Amino acid sequence: MRRNGVASAARVIALLAVLGVAVFPVYWMLVTSLTSDADLFGSGLTLLPDLGAFHTYADAFAQGRIQTWLLNSAIIAGGTAFLSISLAIPLGYALSRFSFRGKALVAGLLLLTQMLPEALLVIPLFGIFRDLGLLNSLTGLVFVNASFVLPVVALLVKNAIDGIPRELEEAARVDGCTPISVLTRINVPLIAPTLAAAGVIAFFHGWNEYVFAVTFLFDESKRPASVGLASFIGEQATSIQSVMAVGLVYTLPAVLFYLFAQKYVVSGMTAGGVKG
Amino acid sequence: MTTLSKTTLRRAGPGDSVGRTARGDKGRRRRSPSGSGWTPYLFLAPGLALFAVVQALPLLQEARLSLTRTALTSPNDNAWVGLDNFVEIFASADFKRTLVTTGIYLAVCVLGAVGVGLVVALLLNGNYRGRGVARAVVTVPWAAPGVAVALVMTWMLNAQYGIVNRALGAVGLAPPGGAILESPKFALPAILVITVWQLFPFNAVVLLSALQSVPKEVTEAAMMDGASTRWIFRVATWPVIAPTVSLLTVLNAVWAIRRFDLIWVTTKGGPVGATETLVIDLYSNAFELGNLGKAAAMGVVGVVISLVLVGASMLLSRRSDQGDAR
Repeated sequence: MRRNGVASAARVIALLAVLGVAVFPVYWMLVTSLTSDADLFGSGLTLLPDLGAFHTYADAFAQGRIQTWLLNSAIIAGGTAFLSISLAIPLGYALSRFSFRGKALVAGLLLLTQMLPEALLVIPLFGIFRDLGLLNSLTGLVFVNASFVLPVVALLVKNAIDGIPRELEEAARVDGCTPISVLTRINVPLIAPTLAAAGVIAFFHGWNEYVFAVTFLFDESKRPASVGLASFIGEQATSIQSVMAVGLVYTLPAVLFYLFAQKYVVSGMTAGGVKG
Repeated sequence: MTTLSKTTLRRAGPGDSVGRTARGDKGRRRRSPSGSGWTPYLFLAPGLALFAVVQALPLLQEARLSLTRTALTSPNDNAWVGLDNFVEIFASADFKRTLVTTGIYLAVCVLGAVGVGLVVALLLNGNYRGRGVARAVVTVPWAAPGVAVALVMTWMLNAQYGIVNRALGAVGLAPPGGAILESPKFALPAILVITVWQLFPFNAVVLLSALQSVPKEVTEAAMMDGASTRWIFRVATWPVIAPTVSLLTVLNAVWAIRRFDLIWVTTKGGPVGATETLVIDLYSNAFELGNLGKAAAMGVVGVVISLVLVGASMLLSRRSDQGDAR
């Protein structure tokens, strides 16, 4: 048993080390945001945050542009969630409940779009969006983000509808429901938890997205937080404390969501592969 | 891809109706509740319309652009040049280096992320208090937005004030000149470490669910009989998790190919091209140098690589589907 004791102690230490490495950078954002210049740039190393220094956050937000960034991110993310869910419900329903010619093709298409790197399509999309007048517009970003997250959302919806007994639908049809009202009155309420989870996955896809936002938006006032934060790099005017404070405010919602909704996200991702 | 969910995520809880249904469909003949005719296509139409505009059309446009000489500044003036762009990129030493860098990046990311993920999954596996918390905490790197990670890593790797250099300096290992991300020698290894850090949690969580379908009776009995841990892993554990490992390999490869934000925000592919992967090379050719035709040719190469990966993943999932049926 002694050998076992040593082994399990080693295992606990290894596990704690892994957890430490996993959270350290996020912790370091917090520490940096709450450390004075003297400590940050002095010779010593400060590993604990100064909990009296929360004014950094007020300072960072006092400029006003941070709120604009976060608001733009929220608009893009909310639009992405709304559009992808709206399209995924009928798409997932058709894939779950109907047999039709070309079904394998549609399924293959979903897989393919999950696998295509966004950045490869940024050049032709730039031209297409220019012709459609969707450059420099948050709406354009909603369209492109929704399309890239749609496969995962649609597969989650399909899997959830697969789990609903067909008898329910048949009963409703006997009562004279049309296919659309079967979908909206029977299926949608029953898969509400999945829809919520899928919607949040889509939300954070839009929240995190960078390559299209940095390419398609030109006005400073339309920048989302991903683009705004990246613009801090190489810039001298903003203090590192403010930069890290904004970074943390941008990071925490995503991290908290993944902590709580992990199982939904994992099953969505393995059905697809949208985030990396 | 459903296979992975079927075999490994059975415990995933209420969100996961995958396992049940795939089985439920099998026995009974698919009936369509509404007759059929045009109805399914009407349901599909809105989603497919979005795909057509945002995915299919761009793919065709990319192929067309790759055969032209087109500048970002005059996008409608595209002279047909046939395969010249492809000849040019494959003749250039820069693009060869890009392909090599992409290959290294892909290989190290896949091996690192799946390998570290497996080790962490084995560490997490077992019955102990706080297991749920540990599993949640380990996913933080995967959940953090890419740009935020790029930002904090740039700060942590700052030449003078970054904690990494301070720690390395304290033990006398600080790199000469200091700035790791500006060093042609250390930038790519640093990017690789950061990427593996971002990717391993997903692998760990998925492999952890796979590990839970390893029969406990077998491993415990083998332990009683004094079998070595390694032998138990090879004989009892590996066969169960092998299909999951191969699918994770494909997913990680796809994620490595598409990774843009981390590299672009931290190094823009520099210094002197040391961290230039395919998507970075493409982006800087298109939007910094304004050479859309050449960049589109790189895009076509990238699409071909992605298609090969998709094909591989389809083969893998079909093979493990058959394995399931047995």
